[in-house]
Amino acid sequence: MSGLDRRGFLKLAGAGAVGAFLTACGGDSGSGGASLRYAWWGNNVRQQNYTKALKEFAAKNPGVQIEPEFADYAAFQERMTTQISARDVADIFWIASPQVLTYHKNKLYRRLDDIPTLNLADYSKEDLESYKLGGQLNTMPFGIFVPALRYNETFAKEDEVELPPADADWDAWAAFLIEYAKDNPNKRKGMPYEPDADLPFESWLRQRGEQLWTQDGQPGFTADSVRAWFDWWDKLLKAGAVLSLSEQEGIGPDWALVGKKVLANMGNSNHIIDEARMFPDYRYKLRAMPVAKDAQAGYQFLYFPRMAIYQGIDDDKVEAAGKIVNYNTNDYAMLKTVGMTMGAPVNPKVFKQSLESASGDEKEMLTLVQAGREAERRPRFEAPPGTNTWRTAMSRAAEEIALGRLSTADGAKRLLDEIQAGISRSR
Amino acid sequence: MTTATTSLESARTPAKAAARRRGRRDVLKHLGLGAFVLLMLYPLVWMIASSLKPDHLILTEPGIIPSEITFDNFVEGWNALNRPFTVFFLNSLVVTVGSIIGNLFSCSLTAFALARLEFRMRKLYLAITLVSVMLPMHVLVIPQYIFFSQFDLVNTYFPLLVPKFLATDAFFIYLMVQFIRTIPRDLDRAAWIDGAGPFRTFWYVVLPLMRPALVTTTIFTFIWTWNDFFVPLIYLTSPKMFTVPVALNSMVDSESQSGVGMLFAMSLVSLLPVLIFFAVAQKQLIRGIATTGLK
Amino acid sequence: MAKRSLLNQGRAAHVFLIPWWLGLALVTAVPLLASLYLAFTDYNILSTPEFNGLENFERMFQDEYFWAAVRVTAVYVLVSIPLQLGFALLLALILDRGLRGLAFYRSAFYLPSLLGTSVAVAILWRQIFGDDGLVDRGLSLFGLELGSWLQNPSLSLSTLIVLNVWTFGSPMVIFLAGLRQVPEELYEAAKVDGAGVVRQFTRVTIPLITPIIFFNLILQTIGAFQTFTQAHVISGGTGGPANSTLFYTLYIYQQGFLNFDMGYASALAWVLMGAIALITAVHFVLSKYWVFYGDD
Repeated sequence: MSGLDRRGFLKLAGAGAVGAFLTACGGDSGSGGASLRYAWWGNNVRQQNYTKALKEFAAKNPGVQIEPEFADYAAFQERMTTQISARDVADIFWIASPQVLTYHKNKLYRRLDDIPTLNLADYSKEDLESYKLGGQLNTMPFGIFVPALRYNETFAKEDEVELPPADADWDAWAAFLIEYAKDNPNKRKGMPYEPDADLPFESWLRQRGEQLWTQDGQPGFTADSVRAWFDWWDKLLKAGAVLSLSEQEGIGPDWALVGKKVLANMGNSNHIIDEARMFPDYRYKLRAMPVAKDAQAGYQFLYFPRMAIYQGIDDDKVEAAGKIVNYNTNDYAMLKTVGMTMGAPVNPKVFKQSLESASGDEKEMLTLVQAGREAERRPRFEAPPGTNTWRTAMSRAAEEIALGRLSTADGAKRLLDEIQAGISRSR
Repeated sequence: MTTATTSLESARTPAKAAARRRGRRDVLKHLGLGAFVLLMLYPLVWMIASSLKPDHLILTEPGIIPSEITFDNFVEGWNALNRPFTVFFLNSLVVTVGSIIGNLFSCSLTAFALARLEFRMRKLYLAITLVSVMLPMHVLVIPQYIFFSQFDLVNTYFPLLVPKFLATDAFFIYLMVQFIRTIPRDLDRAAWIDGAGPFRTFWYVVLPLMRPALVTTTIFTFIWTWNDFFVPLIYLTSPKMFTVPVALNSMVDSESQSGVGMLFAMSLVSLLPVLIFFAVAQKQLIRGIATTGLK
Repeated sequence: MAKRSLLNQGRAAHVFLIPWWLGLALVTAVPLLASLYLAFTDYNILSTPEFNGLENFERMFQDEYFWAAVRVTAVYVLVSIPLQLGFALLLALILDRGLRGLAFYRSAFYLPSLLGTSVAVAILWRQIFGDDGLVDRGLSLFGLELGSWLQNPSLSLSTLIVLNVWTFGSPMVIFLAGLRQVPEELYEAAKVDGAGVVRQFTRVTIPLITPIIFFNLILQTIGAFQTFTQAHVISGGTGGPANSTLFYTLYIYQQGFLNFDMGYASALAWVLMGAIALITAVHFVLSKYWVFYGDD
């Protein structure tokens, strides 16, 4: 556009307009057979793996076409929200954890137990029962997370420290971390500051005989328990056993940034898959959470990432969609391609198959999840509508406590107040 | 560079002292500007350096000089999304060029009418135009999406391009109005008296005179469209339709920050067209109307 | 002007305004009115909106996050706009007049604006203002141990102000374009009258580009009120630490897209719009005293 004189301007405008419209028209034109939209989130590795797996599926199932819809976690939710508002939702989609019941309340899920192509024979009756929402099987779990304590075995050897025994309680761990941070040659800290890690928090609550959410959609915990949780972390922070907010650049630190600075961390079992890869020189081990001396029976629990079929899907596409969900949840072939970044497989058969060829990190994860599967578990309920942002509220409270702007008691109270306000607004 | 100028000029004895003074002032200016440029560009240099480091060193190794150099980030990044990055470049190019044409066309027409023609409620029109930039886009996105999805235009470039051809970028309308208003009225009055109608006045008198505004509009439309993320994210769900920012977004995991090296590498690559474009377009700015318009 | 030509102009104006009319009808008006309606409803995106009168507006007064957002945004606009525009105008003036390597400088100063506000910038900012970052290490030479600026609630906003000033290239380009609009003859005339460089600036340049200064002031102010991407990227969307970077539009976004409370988000948006409109109107009134148009 060097000249930009009148004639050039006109010519360009004309040519460009035609060109732009032609291209715009030439966009996606649906092709024959069932074409299904599959929406998920993650990073580029996960995008590649799932795209590949979906292609393999399409190759095995001529007549089914899949249009992948992918974005990173935050962008995925933005897009999903917009699509929902226009009732233009993907046929098959992953559900971000805080939205599970919100979507359910607004009837986004199609029931799954009447789709002939989705085989549920591998699952026990109790398991299927535990996947249901509102008494109906309308979402399908495709992974399992459990809370995990991960430590860097390489560091432990380097610093010649002996970890607390496997059944050590919270206080023993705290004492150990404080001791470690005080006196190790590389000036490492025990852990990052993460009171907002949701699965460990839930484990804490359940050990005290409470739960995160009740069946009737209320918080199932007391301010006292939250306060005690914040206190546990605050003590570590004040003793210098965990990273300060400044050292870890805020609440919710990146593992790439803090991985070299800490011995251990608390989080989800599946994180080892991606995060161990960031530091190939270190070896990581997983352990179950610390256990309170008086921990209530059945405190252990499994967390499921879920996927669903959209309520408004065309009837003639349902069977094809069932096939995809089936491939995704019940077929080892898919798991081999996509890996285990979304946790251990739910299907018991696939679980066994995956154990046979698992890598070191995967084995760590599978073993921990296996223990969780075998343990006695009280029922667990999903976050009720109106609590989409409870984790943000949790992070804010933890942050302000660390900054010394809020006492642990006030932080606990505020968290509960905000959750209550959200729930009552959505009624 | 500067010394050469100075010595050339100092050959002419009468202006010698003045020239030397000016030369010295230029050296000072260059030193000052140069230091400032360094400050401004440090981040970019850091990005370049980081893109040449292996992923695990980027966040942990401070400082600019990499201890290990690798081009893996560029190679892997280019193909990270199942298709070569050229696809996203071409998509971005189509959207960007279309948007530029749309904005130049529709905003200049609108601006001329609002700035120069007498008609009822002109002020109101201008107010409406301004008001439409005041509302944050996040509350407009959903109604707009519903509108376009009703016409089955999701996953096409229409939702990105149609608004540009319909003068909805009020920023540029207002920019052009302000520019037109700096042009002395005498010029188009003269054309008027010569018997030119509003269209001829617009085309032959005002449009050439507002060239800096058109160039500015082009530059800004290019950059904003090229970098726009939210709107393409929502309308373009199929990877083969992705524009560069949407593609870049799916490279990193915002949770774990892996893939940072590739992100940097591809961000730099996608900066190149913008940079080249700007370097070329800003020459247009320099030419200005002082040399081309008023004769 | 003759009556006939006025009529003619009116008719012509409507031809010129055809795209604008279509845009208003198809693209702008409907969403605008829709969001106005939603501001008076309880709308969670998933179900149909329910009218709830002024409830959303009443809620704002009790909402501590709303007030935090107002405070953050106001401070940001008041501090960063004068700084950014001052820088932009100063450098435009320096770069406008003959100097070797102009093209290089112009591009160099504009580069930060080109970078946009991608995730890359967030990581970059951490490298500069983070714990043990460039600034931290620099200050520790003087015995100041502030740690990460980004995690310090009293400093975090200033890093975003720096980010905004750093991208002064955008208004600078507009200023440059405006300076190009000033006819060379006027400078020559001023020179003949014996005006020095400074007088040329104050008597010729500045008055002639006041419409452009005004434009930058209005639009950059509106833009600053709507600052979103920078805040979203730097704080990872939280507005932290301790709400110190909770920009108003970031809060709208949180309510609308994360909390699904689009009714409240729309109400927040219209309050923001009211505030911006008011400030813009004041600017317009004041502009009568300092902006000079060539067409007056």
